[in-house]
Amino acid sequence: MSELLIRGARKAYGATLALRRGDLHLLPGEVHVLIGSNGSGKSTLCKIVAGSVKPDAGEVLLDGKPVTIAGPQAARELGIGIFYQELSLAARRTVAENICMPALPVKGGVFVDRAALEAKAARIIEAFADVAGEGFSADAPVNTLRADQRQLVEIMKALATEASILIFDEPTSALDRAQVDRFFEILRQLKAEGRAIVFISHRMDEIFAIGDRVTVIRDGETVGTSKISETDQASVIRQMVGERDDLATPAVAPPAHQAQRSAVLSVSGLSGPGFRNVSFEVAKGEILGFGGLHGQGQSAVMRSIFGADAHHTGTIALNGKQIAMKSPREAIAHGCAYVSGDRSRDGILQGRPIFENVTPIHFLRNQLALARPASLRERAMRPLQALKTKFQGLEQPINSLSGGNQQKVVIARWLIDRPDVLLLDDPTKGIDLAAKTDLFALIRKLAENGMGIVLYSSEDAELLNNADRILVFNSGSVTRELTGADRTRYNLYHAAYEAA
Amino acid sequence: MQQIISTPAMNTSPLKSVLQRFPFVPALIILIALVALNGFFQPRSLSFGSITGLFSTYLALMLLAVAQTYVVFSGDIDLSVGSIVSLVNVVIIVLMEKWGGGGLTVIAACLVGILTGLACGVANGIMIAGLRLQAIVATFATSIFFTGLALYVLPVAGTPAPEAYWMTYGGTYFGIPFVFYVVAAVAIVLGVLARMRLTTQMLAVGDDAMAAFQTGLPVTLIRIKGYVLCGLFSALAALCITGDTASGDPLVGGKMTLYSVAAVVLGGSALSGGAGTVTGSLIGALIIGLINSLVFFVGTPSEWQNLVQGLAILTALMAGILVSRGARA
Ligand SMILES: Nc1ncnc2c1ncn2[C@@H]1O[C@H](COP(=O)(O)OP(=O)(O)O)[C@@H](O)[C@H]1O
Ligand SMILES: [Mg+2]
Repeated sequence: MSELLIRGARKAYGATLALRRGDLHLLPGEVHVLIGSNGSGKSTLCKIVAGSVKPDAGEVLLDGKPVTIAGPQAARELGIGIFYQELSLAARRTVAENICMPALPVKGGVFVDRAALEAKAARIIEAFADVAGEGFSADAPVNTLRADQRQLVEIMKALATEASILIFDEPTSALDRAQVDRFFEILRQLKAEGRAIVFISHRMDEIFAIGDRVTVIRDGETVGTSKISETDQASVIRQMVGERDDLATPAVAPPAHQAQRSAVLSVSGLSGPGFRNVSFEVAKGEILGFGGLHGQGQSAVMRSIFGADAHHTGTIALNGKQIAMKSPREAIAHGCAYVSGDRSRDGILQGRPIFENVTPIHFLRNQLALARPASLRERAMRPLQALKTKFQGLEQPINSLSGGNQQKVVIARWLIDRPDVLLLDDPTKGIDLAAKTDLFALIRKLAENGMGIVLYSSEDAELLNNADRILVFNSGSVTRELTGADRTRYNLYHAAYEAA
Repeated sequence: MQQIISTPAMNTSPLKSVLQRFPFVPALIILIALVALNGFFQPRSLSFGSITGLFSTYLALMLLAVAQTYVVFSGDIDLSVGSIVSLVNVVIIVLMEKWGGGGLTVIAACLVGILTGLACGVANGIMIAGLRLQAIVATFATSIFFTGLALYVLPVAGTPAPEAYWMTYGGTYFGIPFVFYVVAAVAIVLGVLARMRLTTQMLAVGDDAMAAFQTGLPVTLIRIKGYVLCGLFSALAALCITGDTASGDPLVGGKMTLYSVAAVVLGGSALSGGAGTVTGSLIGALIIGLINSLVFFVGTPSEWQNLVQGLAILTALMAGILVSRGARA
């Protein structure tokens, strides 16, 4: 069985340094936990080992011998299997086909050996049969499955490789208790067989239940490795946070008398798919942060406030007036704005000029059917310039801009007519540092002018540096509110990483 | 992004699961309706002779729809299929004429034609999957190039096919028209292809190319193979159309390209890739054929025929969507 050593792995995506110096020493017969906050580079390190990302620098030694991992296929031949955090499933293929996809059984050289495929899949499904839940079967297409069931398929797919090195990048985030227990039983068995296992999870209880050693990674750098038996939760979190506390002094002092200030947005008892019983108020001029691990309900809450997704119960009021928020159209009419980090899905009008990308909300809010191009152009230019957007002309297609400038165009769209509430759903995803700085400066200025702002960011530092108050989400509920001097990395991690 | 709180399992209605497995069922229903309508307006259209005629005319489109399906499987598209048909048509016509038009030379010319189609497919595949050009634009450009080649090979339409060729295509052997032997052979080939690993891999690539890459599939090679299959079936379509028209025409396939795309969509395949069946595309091509003959049978004045035909195809598309949507609800 194999021993893996990675030294000085480095990977940059454009201006973003995803991994600065990744080190990992993986031994046969251990479950090696990798932990670090969102965006610290864990997945990038895993993908380098799995061959789907090419590192810019660094060396990989397998059983002491230097190897280059040319691609996912090469990694598999070296005996490396992986569970991808974002899953690698073909949604319209069946469970059995997906499990066997990395190495489809073949007969006659070119034909799929259905019998072998089904037998192989059945053997692996069997291990999860009683916890997989209703609707899970070998011939069900993956897109008919629930989120937890899809995650099980990805687990089975990794197991089916029978690799001696197995990497699991957040395999348990959607699983229920019984499913996790079953998965852990299997991990223990694999460990006993001498396989080397990397396990990433944000749940402290899971880490301490299954791990042998833990490697902490912070801002793209491996900080250290320790035995699980010789460490505890508090010291792991301290290692993740580091000595420094990089909470900048907030650009402005948090509003002093929040109680007296009028709430522009108040939400109470909101429940829906992915979140339950969420209540909060946003005051005029306040930046309220949503914190916590990825996908704990932050986006879902914002999208349902904006009417893009439904909610079951609860009320939403803007400026004290209760509103049903059945569609984004209604939300926009009442002065609500939403900017998503997923620009290509929620933001830009693909292939259209900047001009058309800036003006649609203006048309909608003023119910314009006709407009004078000259005056409209001037209105469009003003917010674009205020945001320091770099572009050649309003007729330039939006796709030719960099990510940061595309996002500025999307934000400019909302600023022609000022909204009362601005919902920012991980707005800086994939944009460069300079653009981020501009963006946050602008957001603060908007708040000072009386807008109420809700900010979710998958990067904790952004949240700590820019939000006046932070609500920490965990499993769909708000579990903690951090205000004033409580807004520290330590507190944020603690609340986020607790078992809910 | 993963969701912590799982959404409840979607309950699958029986109709939906049938559609999942056989996405061409709506197309089949439309086809049956069209057969009935044809029979109603022109009872003779259901005779053996008329059906044979329908197949000999539309076999080329059926094969072209098959060709298109194999690139659509992996999320690509090929707008040059029609021009490949034209090119192969003029290549075999010119060769058969040059070589004298005897039995063996006909077969030799057909083989060269098939190789031509394969070469076109390889060129498209390398350009799109290898060099990462946009499929729509790149194949639009190659379609102009292939048409140019066809015009170079045979500048004006009209050279007739040798008798041995079209007599065979239109002939009857052991009481069964030749086209049905072709249909049977094609059915067998398609059945074999459906069981190949390549088909599953192409569908996985079309479903999510990134996921397929991470899974370790050779994505570029798989997409190239899709284009090669597409070239092959385009060449076979050219052989059929040559049998039907019995002459060379450097522009004969031009109009067929978008019909092939329409047939694929009518047959229930997703243009975004990852889902579909070749059977559906065959049915889609027959739907287009039957619409054309129906337009004729109901006695539409010639200046209205295009308009009615377009409306009928739109109606068929909408009917297909309504049936699938009804099943989903
Ligand atoms: N394909 C990509 N393009 C651009 N930036 C990326 C890409 N993948 C990851 N990143 C960035 O690299 C950093 C590390 O990401 P990741 O390895 O996914 O972290 P983790 O898994 O620890 O949350 C993040 O800031 C992320 O935004
Ligand atoms: Mg990750």
